[in-house]
Formats: sequence, structure tokens, C-alpha cells
Amino acid sequence: MSIDTPALPSSTTRPPAVAPTPSGWQRAGQAMSFRNASAVYLLVLLFAVFSIWEPSTFLTAQTWRLLLDNQAISAIAAVGLVLPLSAGVVDLAIGSEVGVGAILVAWLLAHARLPIPVAVVLCLLAGAAIGVTVTLLVVRARISSFIATLAMSSVLIALIDWISGSEQILDLGTHFQDLATGQLFGITYPVYLLAGLSLAVWWLLDRTALGRRVHATGGNLDAARLAGVRTSRIILFTTVGCGIIAALAGILASSQLATGDPTISTSYLLPAFAATFLGSTQFTGGRFNVGGTLIAVAVLAVGVEGLDLAGAPIWLPDLFDGVALLLAVGFTQAQRPPGARTAAIRRSLRLGRAAP
Amino acid sequence: MVAKELTVVAGAPLLRVSGVSKSFSGAPVLDNVSFEVRSGEVVAIVGHNGSGKSTLVKILARIHSPDPGARIEVANERGELLPLRATHHRLHFIHQDLGLLPMLSTTENLDLGGSLGWRWVLPVRRNEEDRRAAESVARFGAAIDVRAPVGSLSPAERAIVAIARALGGWDRPGNVLVLDEPTTAFHREEVARLFEAIRRVVSAGAGVVFISHRLDEVRDIADRVIILRDGQKVADGAVSGFDDDRLIRAIVGGSVEARRPGPPQGEAGPALTVRGLRGQRLRSFDLQVRSGEIVGVTGVLGSGREELAGMLFGERPPLAGSIAVDGRPIRPGQPAAAIARGMAYVPADRLRLGALAAMSATENLTLASLGSLRRQLGRVDRRMERVEARRWSAAVGLHPPRPERRLSTFSGGNQQKIVLARWLRTDPRVLILDEPTQGVDVGAKATIHDLVAAQARSGTAVLVVSSDAKELASICHRVVVLDAGRAALELAGPDLTEAALVRETLTAGVAGGSR
Repeated sequence: MSIDTPALPSSTTRPPAVAPTPSGWQRAGQAMSFRNASAVYLLVLLFAVFSIWEPSTFLTAQTWRLLLDNQAISAIAAVGLVLPLSAGVVDLAIGSEVGVGAILVAWLLAHARLPIPVAVVLCLLAGAAIGVTVTLLVVRARISSFIATLAMSSVLIALIDWISGSEQILDLGTHFQDLATGQLFGITYPVYLLAGLSLAVWWLLDRTALGRRVHATGGNLDAARLAGVRTSRIILFTTVGCGIIAALAGILASSQLATGDPTISTSYLLPAFAATFLGSTQFTGGRFNVGGTLIAVAVLAVGVEGLDLAGAPIWLPDLFDGVALLLAVGFTQAQRPPGARTAAIRRSLRLGRAAP
Repeated sequence: MVAKELTVVAGAPLLRVSGVSKSFSGAPVLDNVSFEVRSGEVVAIVGHNGSGKSTLVKILARIHSPDPGARIEVANERGELLPLRATHHRLHFIHQDLGLLPMLSTTENLDLGGSLGWRWVLPVRRNEEDRRAAESVARFGAAIDVRAPVGSLSPAERAIVAIARALGGWDRPGNVLVLDEPTTAFHREEVARLFEAIRRVVSAGAGVVFISHRLDEVRDIADRVIILRDGQKVADGAVSGFDDDRLIRAIVGGSVEARRPGPPQGEAGPALTVRGLRGQRLRSFDLQVRSGEIVGVTGVLGSGREELAGMLFGERPPLAGSIAVDGRPIRPGQPAAAIARGMAYVPADRLRLGALAAMSATENLTLASLGSLRRQLGRVDRRMERVEARRWSAAVGLHPPRPERRLSTFSGGNQQKIVLARWLRTDPRVLILDEPTQGVDVGAKATIHDLVAAQARSGTAVLVVSSDAKELASICHRVVVLDAGRAALELAGPDLTEAALVRETLTAGVAGGSR
């Protein structure tokens, strides 16, 4: 393909001024400015506050190892959610996708008596199938992703209750428990899985041509399509990816609890959204990204953990999560030009308008 | 009560505009425009794209404020001319999109016009409301089912509902109604119905400002015509004093320096072949564009002009017909397939279809052909990408020359340069441009024209769909004029002038409308 630059047109009034390309250090400096990375500074602040407030408990290795173990699984779900959100699909079924993975693996092990690898693979396939369904609803049936996944999550919760009979599934076998609780150098396997998945999703979204197309699809679907992006395939890739990662999180959750619990779905929904939206305000100026999501998970976890150790009441973590999400999204909206919000409202109103 | 108020002294001035100028970032758009609208008359304002019409409407609607020194006065209830600030409620606007809520009924739409005061607590009295709505619409000569959703009405009926709402059920005579190109996409009969309504408004003593592209309509409805060209008022007089030629000459202006492109170069075979293309409005459209040739397509709104470019590129599939590049047919309705065959498309609706506003100019530039930057593991070579972005931003004169910035931070002209560069970078066989310089400043316009001409010289077949006659006359080798979905005629060589294009476009519209 030729990438020759055409000769500069004679009538161009402006000289071909070219600003110096910012160096790597300058770009790093900009990336770590407070505006771009406020959560990093917030994390440092929270750490400092709780270190002073509760030094005896907050600063122990035990606390941190527990925190890491507890957060790894919901962080995996949040990293999975970054995929469809980047492509403009708001996947409200993320919580029940985790829930289906958790209950299905338990049922396959406890009732179908399948070997662990087979049960895990079947579960991941089920996650992929849910992703395909979401894409069919959004792309083929043209249902807005918000509604499609909200309805989907209700269907999945029904499925969970049907599989489990609304009861916990016990007796999953001791080997299965090793999956989430086994340790390497004192750190449990899910933490390594989180690291690997984060790296993979980050590479895909932020370094590859595929990721560029995912962001383009999420930014302006029609324009992306007219620039040659096969937007349906892109959406399929992200929802299937998210479905598989969510199923994996579910498998790990059942392994950690040594139980198939039919009620865990809701506890994964809000944290995942809080982390991804808070994360989107970090580093990339409004784009969903893995790095920001992980920082956000850390901020939320440290905040909740610190408050917990300081003897805060039991309802405080939920309050903290909710308020953090509102602040994060409010912050992103405030950064946008004022017209953008009303334009978005007008667009959604136009959806219901009869075609001329 | 209504009958009494209908007797208004005819001929009293209702709107007086004097010395209105407006410039955007130093570029004058309106230059010292003055005019008057009197009670009982329809004043048409005509002019080209970029003549300042829409800016004038926006100033009247107080969306823009004029440069200092302007005076805009509107008559109050007692006929005294007062500044717009105090009397803007006497000025009513019907914009192209009418501003109705299509899911609500006529009655409900009319109710939205006024404030409810304390009555919001009371239940709606449906029959009473419906009766009042039917009455107020009937005054404009329309019998409309006021309970049906407005979306199900015909275009003219919708316009009448909008007028009824604007005039508040018509108990406020002596108002000024500004209609901004209300008849685009209307059929002939529909236009007649709307004009009937306008005549009733006028005979009650209101003044009407009618903005239009169509000279036949102006002749039909207006008493007086004001012609704007390059921001100046160049003519103002009774419609009867203008024949078509005089109107067109006034619109186009005397000196049109033609910047003819050189003769097309390259092979003789057609690069783009379109056969029997059919869409919502297009009916059996054929076209061939040779390599190195720049072909224009124009026509009034509703002639099929708006849907042609998108259909060729696969934005939406045609109802029938075939499209081929270099003799190989492309699958319709699939932009990716069109791109694979060497097609490129700069859409008219830049915000919705062209620009990825939240991504950087660099990312916008490279999106259509990331293949050349792809390395192992699908990695995008970002260093190489930055080098290319700098080269292209210099080539298209991007201002400011900072391609790493978000596209939304650039002006419309510079966004358009990036969208164009995205496609020039793919070195396309066929380049399709839809209104390439719409909403683009003069400097960027010249740059875009030069870039397109340079691309054609390198052997690309270029198709420019545009409503800007001046643009077509200056960059095209030949221009096809559409009328009612068909190619009505073709202008080329010495016949291809701006005046000829304006004349043929408008008269073609008349012939097509009366079918």
C-alpha cells in the first residue's frame, strides 16, 4: 500500500508547521498528572491515612495478603467488563454471568460428577455462549445493550435458581478448592490469573489494531463502520471475551467458597461497574482501560478495608462503593464539553422517534 | 374574539433589521444587512450556501448575537418597534426539523407551547383540549386528527401543527413567523397545503419571513424577495420585478472565476460503474467515472442527491442496482467490502458518520488502514504511526499541527481535513465525497479542493456529491444534475458554470415536483 504524502497544495495558507513530538518522558509526565491519574494519588492518600489511623492492623502483611485474595476475583470480573464497555456495550449482566459460572461449575462437579478440567472448560464455553447471545440481541435484534443485558441478567438469575434449586451446592471436592486457594510464593493462584488476564486485555485494547477498532466501535459505531471496521465482529469479540472471563471469575468464586452459592451475582455487579467507570477517568481521559480499572479496584478495596479495620459500621462499604461510582462518573461528565450531555439525551430521545 | 383581532392595519412594520454584521473568528459572514418586514407580507430570503442566510436566522433567534452596531426591532402589541430583547416573544420560528415530539398527538404538542401555571395539578380535560386543538389547526386550513401521533401526519400537516403551536392558537396577531426552509422533502401538493396555511397567517396581519432554496416556491408565495450573497444584501424588491435570470444572476454574482481542472488523465476504462441504482428517492441511476476524472452530482433536496454517496459506499444497501470498481462488482451495504475494492468515502454528516471525536486525530487518520502499521502479535507500531501522523498533518495543513490531540478539539475544517487524509492515505481507486466542504471555513475549503484535485491527478476516480454549485463548477470535469431520482442532464466543458448549475438544478426541481 502506498503511503506517499501528496505534494503540499500551493494555495495552503498556513506553513507546514509541525510541533515537536513529545518525548517519552513528557508523555509519562502528562500521564501521571493529577488530572490524569487522580486515583493513584487518592490511593496514596488513603494508604497514608489508614497507616496512621490503624497502624497495628492496616500495615500487616496478613491484611494485605487477605485483601489481595479477596479482591482478585472481583477484579477479574472488572477487567472482563472493560472489553464490552470499550466497544460501547453496557453489560449489566456481568454479575449474573459470574453467578452462572459459579453455580454451573458446582453443579457439574457435585451432581454430574465430571472431572475438574472438563467442568471448567464447559463452564467457560457457557460463558462464551452468553456473550454470543448478548451480541445477537444487541447487533441483530438491535436492542440497546442497556436493556438487552438487564433482561439477560434476569434470565440468567432464573437459570441459576433453576440449576441450584435456590440452594447452595456443597461437596465440590477438595482438589477443586485448590484452584482458588492454592498458593505460589505465598500468593494465591487467582492473583496470578488476574495479572495474566490484565496484561492480555491491556495488550489487546491498548496496543493492537484490534483494540483500536474496539475503541472506535465504542466511540462512534456508525463512523467506525464507515471507516471499514467490522463492528458486529468487534462487539462479538468483546462480549464473548467478557463472558469467558466472567465465567472464570465465577469458577474461582465457587472454588474459594468451596460452595456453589446461587446468591453471589449481585455482589459482583456494582463493584465491577464502579471499578471500570472510576478507572475510565484515569490515564486515558475517558476511555475504559485496564490500568485505571485495577487502580480503581485498589482504591475501593483499600478504602473499604481501612474503614472496616477502623470499626466502621457494616453498611459503610456499600455506601463507599456507591458514592465512589457517582463521583467518578460525575467527574468524567464534568470534563466533557457541556453540549455532549444534552446531545446524548437528545440522541436517546430520537431513538423512539418515528422514521420520517 | 378572534375575528376582532384579525383586523390589523396592513403594512405597518413588524420587524426592522438594520446594520446587522457578524463575523466568526475574523471572517465576515454577514455584512451590514438591513431590511424590514411589514404586516401582511411574505418576505423571501434567498441565497447560496454560505451566503449568510442561516446566520441571519440564528441572529434573529438569538442563538448568535450580532456584532456591535446592529439594531433589530420587533413591533409589540401596540405596534411600537422595540429592541428584540424585549419583544423576542413576538418572533416565531419554524425550523427545518419543526421541533415537534412525534410520539405525542397534535393536541399534546400544542399544549407544550404554553405554560400551565397552577393548572398542572388538574387532570387534563381531553375532549375540551382536543376540540380547541382541532379548532386552532383548522384555522390554517387543515383537517387533522388531533389525537393521532404527530409522527403519522404528512410533512405539511406537521408543519401546520408547528405553525399553530408557534402562533399560540392564533390569538396573538401581528406576529412575525420565520420559516427556515420548511419545504425540503415536501411533495408538490404538500407545498401547496403549507402555502395555503401561510397565506391565512399573512391575511390575518402577521408578517412572514420565508427562507428557501427553491425559486419557484419563492415566486409562488413571496411578495418581496431579499437576496443575500457573501453576507451582503444584493437585492431587495417585489418578486414580480425579478425573472428567473435576474434572480439567479443576483444569487450567483457577476464574477465567477472558474478554476478549471486540467483534463482527466489515466486509463480510459471506467474505475467506478453504477447501474440502475435505486433507493428511497433514487430511481434507476447510472454513472461511470473514469480514473483521474472528477465528476460532480447535484440536485435539490429530495432529488436523491443526499442518499447517493452513502449508498455507493454501503452505508445502507440500495434497493436495486449494481456498483462495480474496475469492473468487479462489490457487495452492497458493506463498507468493509467497498474499502477492500479501493473505495473511500468522506460522508456529509461529519459528526455522526465521519469523525471519532473522542479519539485522537492520529487514531482517526490511521483507522481505515491499520494494516501497514501492524507488527507481530497485532501490535500497532506507534512510533511509525506518529511519524506518519506528522507527515499527513503537514500535508493537509492541520492547524494546530498537533495530531496527538483529540479530534473534537479541532475546528470543523480541520476535522474534515483529517477525515479526508484518512482516505487519501489508503490511496483509493475511487474517492466519494459527500458535501466535502459543508461547514468548513474558506481556507480549509481551498485546501480540501486542492487535495482532491491532486488525488485525481494521481489516477483516482473522484465523485463529488454537493449542493454547492460554485464548488462543483470549480473542481469538476463534469457534473450530473439529479431530478426526482434520475440523472436529468449533464454539464461539462464550457457549459459547466455556476450560473448554469444553479439554473438547471432549480428548474429541474420544478419539472420533477409537478409530476
